[in-house]
Amino acid sequence: MSFVPGQPVTAVVQRIEIQKLRQGDKLILGFSIGGGIDQDPGQNPFSEDKTDKGIYVTRISPGGPADVANLRMGDKIMQVNGWDMTMVTHDQARKKLTKQKEDVVRLLITRKSLEETVRLQLKSMLS
Amino acid sequence: MPNDKYANMEEKLWILEDLNMMYIRQIALSLQDSDIQKKIDHEIRMRDGACKLLAACSQREQALEAAKSLQTCSTRIMAYMSELQRMKEAQVMQNVPRRSSDAGPMDERLPCKGKVAISDLRIPLMWKDTEYFKNKGELHRCAVFCLLQLGGEIFDTDMVIVDRTLTDICFDNAIVFNKASPGFELRVELYSCCSEDDYSAGSTPRKLASKLSSSLGRSAGKKLRAAMEPGPCSPVSNGGASPLLLPVPSVPGPKYHLLAHTSLSLSQIQDGFRTHDLTISGNEECSYWLPLYGSMCCRLVAQPYCMTQQMMSGCLKVKQCGGDPQSWTNVFAVLKGTSLFCYHRQEDVEANVEPAFTIGINKETRIRASEKDPQSKVQHICISNQYGGEEVTHTLTAESREDTHRWMEAFWQHFYDMSQWKQCCDDLMKIELPSPRKPASITPKQGSLYHEMVIDSTHDLSSTVSDILARRMQELELRSQLGMSPTWMSVFEENDTKPAAFPRQCNSRLSGHSPCSPHRRPLSPASPPCCPRLGLLSSDASLTSDSDSHCSTSPCCHHRGWPEPSLNFPLLSSSPFGLRPRTLSLDAKLSTLRGRGYGGGGGTFQCPCQPPPSSRLSPLPISSRSPLSQRSTQTTLSCSSSTSSNSSSNSEGSHSPESSEGVLFSRPSPARRSLRNLRARLDPRNWLQSQV
Repeated sequence: MSFVPGQPVTAVVQRIEIQKLRQGDKLILGFSIGGGIDQDPGQNPFSEDKTDKGIYVTRISPGGPADVANLRMGDKIMQVNGWDMTMVTHDQARKKLTKQKEDVVRLLITRKSLEETVRLQLKSMLS
Repeated sequence: MPNDKYANMEEKLWILEDLNMMYIRQIALSLQDSDIQKKIDHEIRMRDGACKLLAACSQREQALEAAKSLQTCSTRIMAYMSELQRMKEAQVMQNVPRRSSDAGPMDERLPCKGKVAISDLRIPLMWKDTEYFKNKGELHRCAVFCLLQLGGEIFDTDMVIVDRTLTDICFDNAIVFNKASPGFELRVELYSCCSEDDYSAGSTPRKLASKLSSSLGRSAGKKLRAAMEPGPCSPVSNGGASPLLLPVPSVPGPKYHLLAHTSLSLSQIQDGFRTHDLTISGNEECSYWLPLYGSMCCRLVAQPYCMTQQMMSGCLKVKQCGGDPQSWTNVFAVLKGTSLFCYHRQEDVEANVEPAFTIGINKETRIRASEKDPQSKVQHICISNQYGGEEVTHTLTAESREDTHRWMEAFWQHFYDMSQWKQCCDDLMKIELPSPRKPASITPKQGSLYHEMVIDSTHDLSSTVSDILARRMQELELRSQLGMSPTWMSVFEENDTKPAAFPRQCNSRLSGHSPCSPHRRPLSPASPPCCPRLGLLSSDASLTSDSDSHCSTSPCCHHRGWPEPSLNFPLLSSSPFGLRPRTLSLDAKLSTLRGRGYGGGGGTFQCPCQPPPSSRLSPLPISSRSPLSQRSTQTTLSCSSSTSSNSSSNSEGSHSPESSEGVLFSRPSPARRSLRNLRARLDPRNWLQSQV
C-alpha cells in the first residue's frame, strides 16, 4: 500500500457504500478516521508502511452504518465519492466524509487481506 | 575507493603536521624562547582534545562548543607561529651588521603598555519583518561567537544561539588584554555556524527525516544544498590555510565560518559605548548567514600603565614659587597618572594617607630644568601649571645629579606616554569585570498553559493526575450546582487503577442518560454499546441510580474521549457545561500524560471495538470500567448508534472533530533542560482521529 513517488499507486480495492444515519440533526457514518498528510505517519497503527500518510479507518462503531456496510478497522480509504483521499490533510478528509447534503458515501478502500484473498484465489484458480 | 584516498590524505596531513611541529620547535630552541614553545604545545594539545571531543560527542550543543574551542585553538596556534616567525626574523636582522646611520631605533623611546578592555558587545540584527513576526515554521538557528585578538592574545566569547526571535546578538563577556601598546589593533571576528540541521555523516534521525520530507521549502532546500557542497561561501575555516601551518585535517562536525570582522584601535577608545562598522563576509546563500545590521556596539576602554602604576618615586625637595626661597619641603614624591603625589613620608604611600600636596602633571604642564644653582650646583626642575588664569610653579630639587637626571627622564617618558595614549590619559577609565552571574534561564518560547505543567515521566502518573483532578475537584465543588461532587469523590477514590490488557466495552447506557432525566434506562443486550470509550464511568451503582449524578455521566460521552487506561474521569465529564473549554484542554493534557505514561512509544494501539463484541458487551446497567491502554490519541466521541440515547448525547458525537491541536508535551526533565536547548519543546503532533 505504500507508494513510490512518481509511480502510480496500485492496490486491490473494494467499493463500499455507506448510508448515512440520521442522528438528531446530523448525518453520521459511525466510524473514525486517522491520518493525513499533515499528520505523523509513524503513529498510524494500521499502516504497513510507516511513511504512508493516507487516511485509515481507526474505529468502527459496532452496529453503525459503517459496520453494517462491512467497513473494517484498518482499511485505508482511497476515495470518497470520487474524491481522492491518498493525498489530503486530515481535515480535508473529514470534510469530504461529513458533507451534510449527501446521505450516502461511496468509498474505495483497500486492505491487506484483500490482496491476500486475491492472491489465494489466483493460486487456486491456476493450480 | 574514496575512503582509501581520504585515509591517505589524512595520514599525509598528519605527517606534515608533525614535521611542522618539529620545525617550530627548532625555531623556538634557536631563539631560546621556551615560553612560546610551551604555549604552542599547550594549544596543540587543546586542539587535539577538541578534535577528539568533536568526533565523539553526539549532542549538538557539545559539538558546537567543541568546534568553537577548535577554532580558538587554531587561531591561537597561528598567532603564536607568526610571532615565532617574526622573532626569528628580528633575530636574523639583528645579526646583520648595520650601518651607523641606522642606529636610531635603539634610543627611541617606547611608550608604556597598558590594559585594553572590551565589553558589552552587541551586534544588532536586521530581520525582515515577515521573518521576525513569523510564529510558525522551523526556527532557523545559528550558533555565534566572537574571537577577539590583540597582539598575541586571543580570546573567545561565549557561544550564543541566535534565531529570528532575537533582535541583537549580545555577548556579556568582558575581555581584558594586558600588555597592549598604544598602537594596538584589536581585531574582532564574528563566527557563526548553522545549528539546526545535522548534515554530518550518519543517518538523520527519523524526526528530522520526516520534517525534511514534509516541509522542505525553497529557502531550506537552498541552505541544505549550500551546506552539502562547500561552495565559495563555506570555506573550511578551522585552521585556515597559511603558508606556515597546514590546514587542520577537517573533523566531521559543525564548522564555524567567518561572518563579520572589524578592527578597533586607540582612536575608538572612549569611556562609554560606541558603534563601530562591521565588514561582513558571506552572503544570503550561506548556511551560516545572519542578517546583520552592519554595526557593532561595544565599550572599549584602556588603562595605560602610566595611569595605574607608579612610574617614578623618590625623595625630593619642593618649593612653591613665589614663596620663601628657603622654604623647601622634604617630600616623598610619587609620579602616577596625571599627578605627582607628594607625601610627607615614604610610609604614607602604603598607608594610603592623603598626600601633603599634589602637583598636576598633564598635557598642559611645562617642565624644564633650570640653570644650575650657583650655590649647590644642582639643577632644579620647574613644573608650571595653569590653574585658572594663574600660573603656578613648583621647583623641585633632587638629592643628586643622577636623581635629577632620572626624574627628568621619568617626566619625559611620562609626557611621551601621555602623548601616545592620548585620550586614555585624561582620566582613569574603569575596567569592570562582570560579577559571575548564574546562567540565564531558558525562556520558554511558548506561552500556552500546556507548557506550564511540567510532569516528569518518571513520576507516578496516576498520583500526579490525581493531584490535578483533586484540584479540579475543589474548583468544581465551588461552582457545581449539581451537587454531585461528593458522589464523584467516592467514585473517584474507589477506582483502583489497573490498566487492563485489553479494552472493555463501556456501557452504552451511559449515553442513554439525558442530562435531565434521572431515570435509569435498562439496557438491552442488543442495544449496541455506545462509547467504547475509555474511562467510562463508574461501576458504582449509586451513580446510575436515580440521582442527579446521572447528568454528570452523560456529558462524558460527549467529550472527546481520552485514552485513559485506568483512571476514570468522572470529574471531567461531569463538569458543568460552563467549564467545558477548560475541561477540554485539561482532557487533552491528561490524555497526553496518560498516553505517555502507558502508551509510550510503541504502545500498541487498541481500538475499543477490537475485541470480539460477543465477549465484551455488558448488558448490565452498571457500566463497566473500560481501561484502555491506548496510545496518546484523542479519540472522539463515539457513539451514537444507541437508539435510546437522547439527542443531546449523540449530537455531540458528530460535532466538530477533534481539532485538538497537537497536544504539546511537557517540558523535559531538568537534566535535559540544562542543555540550554530550546529544541526540548515539541514532540511530533499526536495522530489525530476524527469521527465521521
